[in-house]
Amino acid sequence: MPPPDDPPSTTTAATKTSIIDSLGVEIVGVMSPVSICMLLVVLILTSLSSPSTTSSTSPPPVTAATLIYVESDSDSPSHKLLGAVLDAAAFVALIAAATFVLVLLYYYNFTSFLKNYLRFSVFFVLFSMGGSIMASLLQHFSIPLDAPTSFILLFNFAILGVLSVFSPAVPILLRQSYMVSVAVIVAVWFARLPEWTTWVLLIALALYDLAAVLCPHGPLRILVELASSRDEELPALVYEARPADSSHPVSPPASTPVASLGSVEMQPVSEASNSNSSSVDEEERSPLVSSPPVVRENLSNFNHEQVRESNNSNHAVVEMETGESETLPLVEREGFRSSSNSDSEFEMFDSTRGIRLGLGDFVFYSVLVGRAAMYDLMTVYACYLAIISGLGCTLILLSVFRHALPALPISITLGVIFYFLTRLLMEPFVVGASTNLVMF
Amino acid sequence: MTVAAGVGYVLIALGPALSLLASVIAKKPFLILTLLSSTLFWLISLIILAGAWRAFLPVKSTELWPYSILILTSVGFQEGIRIGFWRLFKKMEDMLNAFADRVSKPRLFLTDKMLLALAGGLGHGLAHAVFFCLSLLTPAFGPATFYVDKCPSIPFFLISAIIALGFVIIHTFSMVIAFNGYTEGKRKDQIFVPFAHLIAALITLINLVPGGCNIGLPLLCIMAGTTLYYSWQLVWRRLTEHQTTRSSD
Repeated sequence: MPPPDDPPSTTTAATKTSIIDSLGVEIVGVMSPVSICMLLVVLILTSLSSPSTTSSTSPPPVTAATLIYVESDSDSPSHKLLGAVLDAAAFVALIAAATFVLVLLYYYNFTSFLKNYLRFSVFFVLFSMGGSIMASLLQHFSIPLDAPTSFILLFNFAILGVLSVFSPAVPILLRQSYMVSVAVIVAVWFARLPEWTTWVLLIALALYDLAAVLCPHGPLRILVELASSRDEELPALVYEARPADSSHPVSPPASTPVASLGSVEMQPVSEASNSNSSSVDEEERSPLVSSPPVVRENLSNFNHEQVRESNNSNHAVVEMETGESETLPLVEREGFRSSSNSDSEFEMFDSTRGIRLGLGDFVFYSVLVGRAAMYDLMTVYACYLAIISGLGCTLILLSVFRHALPALPISITLGVIFYFLTRLLMEPFVVGASTNLVMF
Repeated sequence: MTVAAGVGYVLIALGPALSLLASVIAKKPFLILTLLSSTLFWLISLIILAGAWRAFLPVKSTELWPYSILILTSVGFQEGIRIGFWRLFKKMEDMLNAFADRVSKPRLFLTDKMLLALAGGLGHGLAHAVFFCLSLLTPAFGPATFYVDKCPSIPFFLISAIIALGFVIIHTFSMVIAFNGYTEGKRKDQIFVPFAHLIAALITLINLVPGGCNIGLPLLCIMAGTTLYYSWQLVWRRLTEHQTTRSSD
């Protein structure tokens, strides 16, 4: 029996839905905010660092990452390396301690304390760190904006950010934008660390992430298991790659209201079935879809669980999704039964599962790319490609393994490797050829 | 020269690529993923080439022969990689068709396969434009411009932007031609692609001669136009054949 690959000749190929139209939506949905974050960080760093900071060798900010050793240009490479390793060890120890404190607090149900601490830290980041970046940008580009106006604008920006990070009623696009802005601000701040310290710190954090998520007593793994056993949202700042609206051109218009409900629908039910198999899902979904075995296959292919990752020590906190959000999907789901278009339901379940990526990953990817931007644009592109491919590999592994995976190690390793390969090998080759106008 | 000039050079090099991206590729997320992976592929091949040539760099003289060996080896390597890319593409096609059967959706159409080839080629072209042209364009956003000794009549940034434009077109459409040629088994198409790439790369050698860029640039554009025309004819032929076979069922 030949497979049904010949559509009726009356319809053109453009109106037929093909398999590649909707494949890979979730992956692109995670990659685009990562790319936007990296782009913004590179733009801010290159525009802020051009004339002034090259002349001023001001000491780098005293941070948790420069507690032990502050790099200066006059030291020998081995001294710098040793100092960087010590700095990185101290920083990782600090983050590990903070994560353990977080796990303890979550274990003893201090969730409201964690929630308020998170609100405070988001406000702090947006207002003061974002404010200093805004001040340098205003100064650099000589934008005529007076102090009271900018204070009011900044204050509004920060308050709206605080509100949007925790409330489930805020539109998802706003929440995603604020997540990206927090990540951009923290990454710009981190990229001011000295060079050797940055690289060693990135590698150390990738190793820590690997240990914290995969080892049986790692803090992040304990956190994930606690959260799933209580059927709650993970207490952290995460970016959720939910589709904001159904913008596929192929989905019929009747599915649009259904799809917008779906953006709320996918959320906590997936957590409930986190550690269990998908048997719960299948029962709930089978009356809605015409062919259960097909949907099961589809879900097993696209059933991306959350990716819970390491967080910045400033930002390891609670996201408040209480029980009331769990009733919403049950209410909305009544609307699905009336829609009998199995095509739209296929599109629906294709895009229901949102992947979640921790904000710490955004920050450290952008720090790597920002540090590459301080050398040359070629390394920026190479590191960008390396990070995106590492992220893609991690997402594929996620669909294979079905539990929380660390997102930092593969990307950071590839990024560091590609940075040094590009800087040492590729640059003389390509620049030598192209400045002589010999290209291939 | 200024930000406007810098942006202008970027658009010269990447204009057609950006419009292809916006109109065709951005609509289907899978094509975006294909583009990113083919860009990565090209980058890795470039790193391997650079690693192999590292010991001989920098080429001190501006004689023709070291650069011609460089080009011959590079183009040969990249064309070899293209065959490997095609094998990967076949595997992916099989996987996609198996998946389509499982969820009872139609299998890959001919247009889908061509779109995938286009995305792959565009990935290669974008990688070329980024690494050979865009990364050197940073000074163009500043207050001055730069001329190479061999070519005192055209600013360096403009030459590299036009060369990048030519190569974007060549890479993009030769991938379409190559995939069709390997699928159908037609010798003519299979030979055309490495040939076109090699001739285009050898044309850039003319730029080493003083004043050569005045000849090299138009020749390169002619080469790009030839590739475009050839691929247009090929795609037209295949689509009409496919249409007639379908409607005759």
